[in-house]
Amino acid sequence: MTRGQSKTEGSPAPHSAVATELEGRWLVVVLNDPVNLMSYVVLVFKKVFGFDESTARKHMLEVHERGRSVVWSGVREKAEAYAFTLQQWHLTAVLEHEDAA
Amino acid sequence: MKRIEVKLALPVVAPLLDVIRELASGLRGELAAPLGPSDLDAEFAAAWTSELLEAQTADVAALLAMFNEEFFAEGVIAFDEDNAEQIVRATAAVRLRLRELHLKTLGDEMLESGNVELERLDDPVRKAFMCYLFLATIQELIIQHLDSSILES
Repeated sequence: MTRGQSKTEGSPAPHSAVATELEGRWLVVVLNDPVNLMSYVVLVFKKVFGFDESTARKHMLEVHERGRSVVWSGVREKAEAYAFTLQQWHLTAVLEHEDAA
Repeated sequence: MKRIEVKLALPVVAPLLDVIRELASGLRGELAAPLGPSDLDAEFAAAWTSELLEAQTADVAALLAMFNEEFFAEGVIAFDEDNAEQIVRATAAVRLRLRELHLKTLGDEMLESGNVELERLDDPVRKAFMCYLFLATIQELIIQHLDSSILES
């Protein structure tokens, strides 16, 4: 998290577009749980993805009401890094290939 | 540095610490939120889990450290920019564990709404639920007052 996590943020590297084309896109999906507070989930989304308040709330409500929200998509390696960070914050995150979604 | 001090009722909170300590011990060996289904290879998943467990253990230690001599002497706990992030994560971990081990009988709907009749609960479940609410209150306080330091760290 914190500074280390910034590795997963920012502008994509030039090779990312090619890699995405070759491998297809991976989705980071957050699943609902009955425990974590809405305010906590919003905080985590803002912290991990740099979302503004309204985007973070939109995803939080999607998780709450639909049971899941796709919070990021792109290359596999970066998707894994995001899933790891979400897990560190105790949100349940899974990776799905876009073809399987 | 921004610092929040909270005065707690010692006779009410001290017994809840036993519950938190017991759960903290289990959280050294098991993730609060198990890994979701994935196609990670076994070796990678094991390394991933081990790193998560290490971080989780450090977070929970920071939560327990809040209940120090000052707490037992005066009933005061304190959060600041240094421990806010770890404590907010640790409260999530312990709450997930509470649900897993002690509160499943309440049902998820009741847990989400918080609409629970305390007097109808057995003693251990009541104590676990009080602990669950107490940790939520700590988490809310930190998010209300120290969210910017967490976001900027």
